Amino acid sequence: MFDFLEPFFFVLFTVGIIGAGAAVVMLRRITAQALLMAFTFACMAGMFLLLGAETIALFQVLIYVGAITILILFGVMFTKQSESDYALFFQRQAPFAAGLAAVVALPVIVLAFSFKDVATPSPRGGDLVPLGSSLFTDYAFPFEVASVLLLAALVGAIVLVKRDEQ
Amino acid sequence: MPIGPFGIDPTIWAVLRLLIAVGLTVFLVLNGALVQIFLERKVQAVMQDRIGPYHTGPFGLLQTFADAIKLLSKEDIRAKLTDAPFFLAAPAIVFSPMVASFVVLPFGPDFVGAPLNVGLLYLTTLGSMTVLGVVIAGWASNNKYSLMGGLRSAGQLISYEVPQILGLVTVVLYVGSLSMVDITNAQPGPLVNVLILPMAFVTYFIAALAETNRAPFDLPEAESELVAGFLTEYSGMRWGVFFLAEYGEVTVVSAIMATLWFGGWHGPGVDALPILGVLWFTLKTYVFVILFMWIRATLPRLRIDQLMGFCWKVLIPLALVNILLTAGLILAFPDPRLPIAVVNWLLVAALVVGLPFTQRRRLLRFRSRTRESVAMRDALLAPPMLD
Repeated sequence: MFDFLEPFFFVLFTVGIIGAGAAVVMLRRITAQALLMAFTFACMAGMFLLLGAETIALFQVLIYVGAITILILFGVMFTKQSESDYALFFQRQAPFAAGLAAVVALPVIVLAFSFKDVATPSPRGGDLVPLGSSLFTDYAFPFEVASVLLLAALVGAIVLVKRDEQ
Repeated sequence: MPIGPFGIDPTIWAVLRLLIAVGLTVFLVLNGALVQIFLERKVQAVMQDRIGPYHTGPFGLLQTFADAIKLLSKEDIRAKLTDAPFFLAAPAIVFSPMVASFVVLPFGPDFVGAPLNVGLLYLTTLGSMTVLGVVIAGWASNNKYSLMGGLRSAGQLISYEVPQILGLVTVVLYVGSLSMVDITNAQPGPLVNVLILPMAFVTYFIAALAETNRAPFDLPEAESELVAGFLTEYSGMRWGVFFLAEYGEVTVVSAIMATLWFGGWHGPGVDALPILGVLWFTLKTYVFVILFMWIRATLPRLRIDQLMGFCWKVLIPLALVNILLTAGLILAFPDPRLPIAVVNWLLVAALVVGLPFTQRRRLLRFRSRTRESVAMRDALLAPPMLD
């Protein structure tokens, strides 16, 4: 009876991701951009939910909606906003942008259409244990490298700020 | 045809269950807020040697109802230069994650909306979404006080999310589950988690005070500095929705503390009569709610640099050390309860004993600075030599 729900939510999330993502690029109002960006991330989390990956969906919301959007907003509010149009170095970027987007999009499209048999989603919340164990066994090295990289970025940011003060 | 509970078709029951859950949650949130506002007034009154509200209804019980009706019937004011859609959306963005949090709270043995196995992560996630609403409210108000309030709030909430989550991680490590129901079931007896993991509790409690904008961490809405912070331009029921969200969040973090460290629904007589669990859970939750009010009546507000310094230089290092030691002890001992308890109580003692020393150094610094400025003032104001 509720079989229509999954395709319905899939369409909803797809429209949300693409529409809100495009709007983030097009719009100029910072509040609108921030909210729509958060909305895009929330729709991505919805996609993960549809795939049965509850933990990843929750981390998506926790990190992207709760932290990264706020940090970007924080940065924008603390930097000076000018009323004039942006003075970009390359004034005609459209062809470059289209070329770059095509280079990125092509493999994604090829990959997307190469999926023939989708694995059945695991039961609710079943991704917590596999996620945790693979993160600390198979992918322990990339995980540690990423954490060291983040630590270096943190220390670097503090050094930069302290140098400005002196 | 399969038959669900009460002889209702399961598909219809699924929809019905959702409606009942949402209805109950809204009922709980609204009444919880009314009760808490009444309690807050009475508790503050008792602590300040006053009587508090007593005219409206018996013991002034109907005072908050009267206030709620007043808020609902107030004129809907929106300043002309506010950013309309976001100004209107911000209260909803703050309110809805709080309502959604109630789904995973374990009220009793069989009274859980959704027994998710990642319940704690779900609660943390929803808690982190509030910041967005507060920042948007601050920006959309187009008012400098609001903006400052919003920015302070963003900095404070993001900073204190770290010790909050680190406090939870220790419990998750010890219990071995993210499910609220499993964590409750792991502490059936009198040996509740707070006796074994007091440092995690202290970390979480302080961070939760900051996360819910309660005094002494209520800097985003500091009346004496920022008018009302991000709430400056809000009035009527929109302002009311922000406060409903705040009281709701206080309930949620209190419920988390009651579940994780104080055994949740467990208490005398629960095995015989499961419905008693709801009573124990509510009582434990409200102990923390009243503790929050007690702290508000006792402590003065911190300054923003003290707030940040305390979080990053005291709470987070201690919480990290706690996680490291707890994880090591769990690996080292087959029954790690006693060593973990010893280490945790030692860390609490270190925090309690160490804090006055850091304050003493700060005080000495302030005194020398004051002496310098007094000397400078005396030099400037010294009467000119007439002879």
